[in-house]
Amino acid sequence: MTLLGLDLDYVACIVLFCVGLYMLVAKSNLIKKVLGLNVMETAVFAFIVTSGMIDGGQEPIVVAGSAPPYTSPIPHAMVLTGIVVAVSVTAVALALIAQIHAHYGTIEVDELKELP
Amino acid sequence: MTTLGPTLLPWLVALPLAGAALVPIVARRDARWAGGFTFAVALATTALASVLVAQLASQGPFSADLGGWAAPYGIELHFDRFAAWTMALAALFSFVIPFSWRYLDATLPRERWAPFYALMLLNLGGLLGFSVTGDLFNLFVTMEVVSLSSYALVAVAGRGVAAWAALKYLLLGAVSSLLVLFAVGLLFALTGSLNLADVSVRLAAAEPSGAALLALASLAVAFLVKAALFPLHVWLPDAHAIAPSPVSAVLSGLVVKVGIVGLLRVLQLAAGTGISLEPLNTVLMVLGATAIVMGAFLAIFQDDIKLMLAYSTISNIGYIVLGIGLASPFALIGAFVHVFNHALIKVTLFLAAGAIIHQTGYRTLSDLRGVARRMPQTAAAMAIGAVSIVGLPPTAGFVCKWYIALGAFEADQGGYGFALVFGALFIFVYYVRMLDAFFFRSPVRPEVADAVEAPWSMRAPVLVLAAACLVLGVLGGIPIGFVEPAVVDLLAALGR
Amino acid sequence: MDVVDPRPLLAPLLSFACAGLVFAAGENVFWRRFWTFLAAGAKLLVVLSMLPGTLAGTVYVSHVVTFTPGVSIALRADAYGMFFALVSSTLWVLTTIYAIGYMRGSKDRARFFGFFALCVSTTVGIAFAENLLTFFLFYETLTICTYPLVVHAETPQALRAGRIYLTYTLLGGGFALIGSVMTLDLAGTLTLSQHGVFASDTPTLALAAVFVALVLGFGVKAAIMPLHGWLPIAMVAPTPVSALLHAVAVVKVGAFGVTRVIYNVFGAEQLQALGFATPLALLAGFTILAGSVLAIRQDHLKRRLAYSTISQLSYIVLGAALLTPLGALAAIMHVANQAFAKITMFFVAGAIVKETGKTHVSELAGIATRLPWSMAAFTVAALSFVGLPLFAGFTTKWYLALGALQGDAWWFVVVMLASSFLNAAYWFPILHLAYFRAPEVTPETPPQATPDASDGSHAGVAAGGPRRWETSKTLLVPILICAAYVVLLGVTAEVPGMPTSVAVVAVEQSFGLEAPLP
Repeated sequence: MTLLGLDLDYVACIVLFCVGLYMLVAKSNLIKKVLGLNVMETAVFAFIVTSGMIDGGQEPIVVAGSAPPYTSPIPHAMVLTGIVVAVSVTAVALALIAQIHAHYGTIEVDELKELP
Repeated sequence: MTTLGPTLLPWLVALPLAGAALVPIVARRDARWAGGFTFAVALATTALASVLVAQLASQGPFSADLGGWAAPYGIELHFDRFAAWTMALAALFSFVIPFSWRYLDATLPRERWAPFYALMLLNLGGLLGFSVTGDLFNLFVTMEVVSLSSYALVAVAGRGVAAWAALKYLLLGAVSSLLVLFAVGLLFALTGSLNLADVSVRLAAAEPSGAALLALASLAVAFLVKAALFPLHVWLPDAHAIAPSPVSAVLSGLVVKVGIVGLLRVLQLAAGTGISLEPLNTVLMVLGATAIVMGAFLAIFQDDIKLMLAYSTISNIGYIVLGIGLASPFALIGAFVHVFNHALIKVTLFLAAGAIIHQTGYRTLSDLRGVARRMPQTAAAMAIGAVSIVGLPPTAGFVCKWYIALGAFEADQGGYGFALVFGALFIFVYYVRMLDAFFFRSPVRPEVADAVEAPWSMRAPVLVLAAACLVLGVLGGIPIGFVEPAVVDLLAALGR
Repeated sequence: MDVVDPRPLLAPLLSFACAGLVFAAGENVFWRRFWTFLAAGAKLLVVLSMLPGTLAGTVYVSHVVTFTPGVSIALRADAYGMFFALVSSTLWVLTTIYAIGYMRGSKDRARFFGFFALCVSTTVGIAFAENLLTFFLFYETLTICTYPLVVHAETPQALRAGRIYLTYTLLGGGFALIGSVMTLDLAGTLTLSQHGVFASDTPTLALAAVFVALVLGFGVKAAIMPLHGWLPIAMVAPTPVSALLHAVAVVKVGAFGVTRVIYNVFGAEQLQALGFATPLALLAGFTILAGSVLAIRQDHLKRRLAYSTISQLSYIVLGAALLTPLGALAAIMHVANQAFAKITMFFVAGAIVKETGKTHVSELAGIATRLPWSMAAFTVAALSFVGLPLFAGFTTKWYLALGALQGDAWWFVVVMLASSFLNAAYWFPILHLAYFRAPEVTPETPPQATPDASDGSHAGVAAGGPRRWETSKTLLVPILICAAYVVLLGVTAEVPGMPTSVAVVAVEQSFGLEAPLP
């Protein structure tokens, strides 16, 4: 299935990415911003995994009786590493938000901007 | 001898990363040991890098395949002149670390010393990995190592304002990283390879497609955010000004260069794909010239010396990007050389500013009046750095300005030559204010009037770096000679 | 004939090294003076040692370091460079003596003498620059090193003057850089050792851009109108700085640069064909007259001197822009003639301030009875500027007029005559006041805060009584030597072995024109 010449899977990824971007840009709450970032990350991960898929492809574990086509394993490996990175980024972000909250008592960007 | 280079290459990255892991253990008994240990690791890494550069000089570029898997399937580390030039960047760590010893006394509680040093080494390892990796995905991973450690380093001083600056930096940085990851995934989907050289070849073999263009454009934009090119610079000033001075030095001098090195990688990738680089180059020239002027313009209104220095980074990134956009041999040489020279100058300036702030407790021009009377050597280093960053001879900054201006005329873009030369002078407007305040006004603060010179562990790195700024101004031919073959290769790949 | 020799490098290097030691000596008076004199003396000796060779037509070259392929940092002592280096080295020794007397007791003397030494060192570097890059390196270094001297007093006016100075000169430097870069792009070389580097088929428009950029760049320091605004304002600097830098070193560097552009970057022949020199000559002629007119209106003595400098500098530019052998000879000789005469005047102006605190022309009534020797020297310099025979200024005007006639530009002779009258109009009133008017009865304004108590040259200063009748020896000796030079330069114009003969060699060798004198 395609939409505008793209596979529907990819279209879903793009929509998800835009949702995340909207959250990141438009929300004032820092936690929501980080959540938006996470949604964007998920969109990219989904995109990469999808790109490795082949119609009718098997899992790429070569045992007796298995035969091509295989789905590509490398995108999975990449995404796995990507998730690790994303979790680290989220962890650092949350730690920073916690510090901001402890210091200013707020995590709303509007209010933070008004502080001296 | 022949196999020494490939054998040692992985250790170049492993050494600082392993050092980072060991720092907390070393610091268990006494946090002060962490500083010495980190210095030792940084020195060892620099020594290792020198051996590799010597190898490169004697027998040309070499590669190492991690885990015994040959390229393009395995992960390849590649050491060429391009990578070797960024080794010079890493060598600056050997100056920043000893400076930090005494600096941390006043700025960080002792339990944070070990994390600080560990993060510094992580940052170094990431930078080295980024410059030697021949693998697209590793480009992303090492970039994230650099970025994450940078976010944490900005916040290391631990006050709310630092955390807020770090978070702003993180949010934009994470989005740009995500763009890189997306582009890497897309390029893999298009070519089935992650090896940089291989991807380039396969892209060239395939039909030029919108998807390839999208991938390369995403990479370019992402790296320009990392490089803080105006108008993608908004995260930079706060983060760089609020971080402790050694961190500012590393961030402003070195970490933004990740974006530049990445951008050059994009150019390498795009070479031969049939995708026209003209639009990209035009954008780079316009944005570069704008950045030079706007960075200077924004800096004029700052009273905080570290904010001033942070804005001047934006200007200087403008130089480099302009040079890359002009894409003529001389301009590229100038841009390459400025990658290091700017780092050298900026580290000098930030460390000197750090020493002054450490000794007086003040950081604005109006408070720091007359500080040169009490801290003549540090202030002199600051003056040399200021003259250098404006690109006045005989300093390191002039060499780059000369080359990029020459490149502008070579590319028949004389207008950009004017923008560069006079934009740079515009920068001097605020450095003159700084020098006036430091040297020719009377102290208004008792702390400044009674300040003493910084301790030697802080002063020595600053003075050596300042001297290097002068030496590289006169011996400008040496770095030029070193990067020239790399530029020739790049231009050959780009088909010019 | 070019000979590889370390001496052109040695001259600036020695004084750079000594400048560093001056800084290191700090407030230690003995060592500071020791290193300053060593630097000045050693440099003068090195330059003098090359003089016989220069007169015989030898050019000494030292190659320092390759900056980029095809462009090196290199020094080359040709006759014109030697002439300029000799003037600046000689005057440095004299100014150093004067400055020690003048600056006695003032603050931050290490900084003052250190940057002073740096400035003079760069002047020699400029004189010997083999190519535009080397020239530019030293040119900008000079700009930076002069700045601390201009703002030395650290008053708001001084800081403002410093900023204006930097704005003008750095913008000029920017144009010089652009011009150099364009030259390299068009000609593939930056050398100043040839008489023109551009191929004859280079587009005229591009050449015009180069000419304008380079002349703008160097013209700022030469204070060609309308680029002169910084010079009168920079007079807030201490007098030795005004004397050496703003009458000789800095401004002459600009004029020197313009002549190098005319004869070595473009070459007389090509420039004649292009016709770029005529507008420059007109501008210089205008500056000569306008500078003099403005000078008449100044009551502040140093400002009057500054406007006179602006006017006099354009003699050099005009002489060079005439593109005739005699005009070129006049330009070269005026480098020395104006320098010695103007520095004499500045020294006297400084002595007057130091002794009486008087800074304005209108206060100078009867000053000759107070400072007879100084005013005698001042008179010599003034007569030289007016252009009386037997004084240095006459030779310039004579050759300049002959040069103008050689080039069929008779109207410059008119300019020259008018300028002589104007010079008379602003120097003679000073002399009249000084010699023929009784001193005002009002008590002298006490001189600067610290009296020269340590100076043993004056005898019997009774409390409340008149001070000594002259100024201290350290001020007077340089004044008299400079005045003697003015006469010497005037009477020996055609004696072989004297400065003129270096200038004659320079016209042939450095400018590529035919011999101006038999």
